[in-house]
Amino acid sequence: MEIGLDIFLQVMVWGLYAGCIYILLATGLNLIFGVMKVVNFAHGQLLMIGAYVTFSFFVLTGFNPYVLLAASIPILIVIGVCIERLCFRPILGTGKLNEIFISIGLIYILENVAAMIWTDEWKTIRSPFEEITVTIGGMKIPVDYLIIIVTTVLILVGLYIFLKKTRLGLAVRATSQNRKAAMLVGINVERMDMLSFGIGAGLAGAAGTLWVVSGQVFNPYMGSVPAVKAFAIVIIGGLGSIPGAIIGGLILGIAENFTVLTIGGAWKDAVAFLILILVLIIKPNGLFGEKAE
Amino acid sequence: MKHTYVLLLIGMVVIGAFLAGCTQQASTAPAQNLKIGVVASLTGPSSTTGKDVWQSAQLAAEEINAKGGVYVKDLGKSVPIVLVQGDDESTREGGQKAVSRMITQDNVDMLVGGFSSAVVSAHQSIVAEHNVPYIITGASTPVITRRTDVNTSYMFHHAPTTDDSGSQTTLFIDNVIRPAINAKFGYPQDRPLKLAILYQDSPYGKGHLDAVKNTIANNSLKINLVSQETFKMGESDFRTALTSIKSSDPDVVYVAAFLNEQIPIETQAMRDVDLKKIFIAIEPNDDPDFYKGVGKYGDYSVIQSRFSPYTVPKGPTEAAYNKFVTDFDKKFGGFPGMMGVATYEGVYIGAKAVENAGTLNKTAVKTAIANLQMPQIVEAMQGQTISFSKDFRESKFDLTMEQLVWDPSVNETRPKIVSPANLKERDFMLPDWYVPGKA
Amino acid sequence: MIEKNRVVLYLTVATLAFAVLFPLVTGLNMYYLTVLILIVIFIIFASAWNFLTYSGQGSLGHAAFFGIGGYISTLIAVKSGLTPYLTIFIGGAGAALVGLFIGAICVRMKEWFLAMVTFGFAVIIQVLVASQFVSVTGGWDGVAAPPLISNTVPNYLVYEYYSILLIAVVVILLFRTILNSKIGLAFSAIRENELEARASGIDPVRYKLFAFMVSAYFSGLAGALEISYLGYVTPEIFGVDISFWPIIYSISGGLGTLAGPIIGTIVITLLWDGLQSLGLTYGRFIIIGIILVLVVIFLPRGLVSLPEVIKKRAPVWKARFNKLLSK
Repeated sequence: MEIGLDIFLQVMVWGLYAGCIYILLATGLNLIFGVMKVVNFAHGQLLMIGAYVTFSFFVLTGFNPYVLLAASIPILIVIGVCIERLCFRPILGTGKLNEIFISIGLIYILENVAAMIWTDEWKTIRSPFEEITVTIGGMKIPVDYLIIIVTTVLILVGLYIFLKKTRLGLAVRATSQNRKAAMLVGINVERMDMLSFGIGAGLAGAAGTLWVVSGQVFNPYMGSVPAVKAFAIVIIGGLGSIPGAIIGGLILGIAENFTVLTIGGAWKDAVAFLILILVLIIKPNGLFGEKAE
Repeated sequence: MKHTYVLLLIGMVVIGAFLAGCTQQASTAPAQNLKIGVVASLTGPSSTTGKDVWQSAQLAAEEINAKGGVYVKDLGKSVPIVLVQGDDESTREGGQKAVSRMITQDNVDMLVGGFSSAVVSAHQSIVAEHNVPYIITGASTPVITRRTDVNTSYMFHHAPTTDDSGSQTTLFIDNVIRPAINAKFGYPQDRPLKLAILYQDSPYGKGHLDAVKNTIANNSLKINLVSQETFKMGESDFRTALTSIKSSDPDVVYVAAFLNEQIPIETQAMRDVDLKKIFIAIEPNDDPDFYKGVGKYGDYSVIQSRFSPYTVPKGPTEAAYNKFVTDFDKKFGGFPGMMGVATYEGVYIGAKAVENAGTLNKTAVKTAIANLQMPQIVEAMQGQTISFSKDFRESKFDLTMEQLVWDPSVNETRPKIVSPANLKERDFMLPDWYVPGKA
Repeated sequence: MIEKNRVVLYLTVATLAFAVLFPLVTGLNMYYLTVLILIVIFIIFASAWNFLTYSGQGSLGHAAFFGIGGYISTLIAVKSGLTPYLTIFIGGAGAALVGLFIGAICVRMKEWFLAMVTFGFAVIIQVLVASQFVSVTGGWDGVAAPPLISNTVPNYLVYEYYSILLIAVVVILLFRTILNSKIGLAFSAIRENELEARASGIDPVRYKLFAFMVSAYFSGLAGALEISYLGYVTPEIFGVDISFWPIIYSISGGLGTLAGPIIGTIVITLLWDGLQSLGLTYGRFIIIGIILVLVVIFLPRGLVSLPEVIKKRAPVWKARFNKLLSK
């Protein structure tokens, strides 16, 4: 099939949009990994909870769903902190596979608690801006996608400023670079664990809100696939590297959509892993990864 | 040390025996009732449908029992229907356990239900082996009654297969939509219609693709398949697939998807991709959630139906339809899906067959189902009769095609039957915004 | 130590006696046999998964091997007419071959990388089977699988059960022999510290590949057994739940022990079915999830270590209890 420029650009936009969700998830995972050196495989379930929190508040209050970022992020931060304290802290420093096992347990718990609260039927809401489109270079793009992309950029910039310019952010980075040394200079690393896990969960909550606003459907089981892909992105970009997560997210978002365009939708999920395997064969630590151990 | 292990072992045996005991119902008294096992996915990803199936079966059983039960000539009296729940957990292993339990522990006289094709095919062999009549009311693949490796003569398919549903839709496109487009835009009468198909990567979606292709080929229809796109089950982002379809410039887009995919497909097509074409949804999507979810983006789209929440085909099934929907809503709240109604009918079919056979003997009941000629109940059947084809034991549904029309009073669209001719409420119409593919 | 071995022996004999005698006591009961057969098949599968962890590796995608075993065994049996008693082993060999390939890619990866890559292979293989090689695999329609023993044979299910039980016993004895041999020592050396193992002349790559192959082989065998028992194979067999169950069974039973996967499979399956008969739907998953979290945190060596833990803690609890009474 011949791909015209207009289709190419259009698919790029869908890729960028998909990339935004992945980036938010992957950045959160990476922040947690940097500080705690653990991976939360149940991260996608936090996205799902974020989606439902947004949905519930939207139904209850009728607020503009974008404003509900102010609800989903803090609520998810609290949930994240609880999960860190109850599940991940007790296993810090034990076997490396334990966090995967804990995550499997968490996946079952979160999905089914959500199903009990919200039932497992598919839900969807509508953005108040759904009628508005913007024409850029001859392409009609619904304004929601632009807002989503801008929101993601703003959140990332905020995170950057927090990490680079504040004392707390400095402490997080210090812990991430060298936990023991951070402890020696008097940083409360356990607080940093909570903080990073909370922020990571908050980013997943933001991703959940953006998922809902774009009119995508969701149910309690929808989190696994994006989470697994986000983790693939983390590995592609390199464990612990936030720029890696951003670039990896963009690569995957765009690659997936071009796969659908060229090979077919059946390959959409598999392409993430094909890229993952290829990258790891060529660069075993990912594109921007720190040397393991 | 030693003691703890022995204790542990004893504990395990006791727990095991207890759990096994839990599932064993006291059922030694022979044949004082008609036991029907209901195979439904009460847990797992298909549980929403499973609940409909189980509740509809309960409703049917209660209605029959309220009228005195099922008359069995051999026993010289009427016996009540007793339902046994078999949760297949939406998995192959779960289905296997549930069905074998119902057959051996509960000694069911027949089985009704069965949703996913993968799950049903995994427990067919034990059903075949025990020769239990099985009225399959969920799975849509025609393969299940066409397998040759197991004896499927006890299995009856009371649900439109992907073959039936796909071919009826394709014929509708050729009979109704194609002439409408050609007339409105002044195309020559023999201009072929440009059809795009977007299908789920599953037995269900693949079955529809094959049915469409076969129908076009077998009837030499003037339809060109200009684009075939597929997506993974549970997908929520169709923008690129739709963009690709748009570039193929079709007249009509045929979608073989589930409700949770159909809604975003139509929404994203209209809103994001600006693919302003006639969309066709197939039969399992006709549910209140569809109208709610798709909103104004569903306006003028077409949906195939056998059991619609908002329109009743005028005629003989109308009263039964209203009664069933009202009773269901009164008892359980909500609208029973089409798997629900088929199971409701399945229980009636079973009861009727037992009455005809005059015995609970499984072979006799099976023969009675095979020879059944029973008036249609809620869903419109071909020839207004429920009967199973001699070759593959499939009942034949009369599917209707509906077009969605915006109804400002409910702020949603509502369906109007546009085909078949004897049931139609109005003509199929092309909207003003509609632009066909280039000639 | 000797004392403990004897206990283990008793326990093993008792479990085995139970497994052998149970069908004789209850008679030919298809439901019990169904539950038992599925338990035994999943014991093989979980043990095979667990075997991999001995070498310090893990996998989130063992459904790939389970499914490949099922498909290859079925396809060969259908095309050649060979009895499934032979083809299940060919299915295992096919899975081992794929395992070798995946293992070769993964052998230098650790933990999370390995987890993701194995997970990814299961996804990729499902797409290949369902959409790419349709002419061979039947695509989404799947393939009907011949049964181990024809159902025209009276009491065939009992024979099938004993065949599968025998295979399970042989597999576990084989694992035991391997792990008690030099190979087992090499595994634990690699698991503890790969660099040191290398320094003492052990080639980790070879051993890890071996572990991957053996694990894939028996996972494939388990898959082939399940499919010939269920009688039909579809691409759903590569689903995530099939990858997760052996992990859940092994962890709850006890990682890195032979008894762990066995006890885990039995206890979790019975619990699962028991909770179902109580009518719990979502609650069932929540309970399994909570058990998993609690086991990982409080009982890292699984249910098999429960008696020891109780024994160790019992005096403490007793003391606390007495203190409470004396107050």
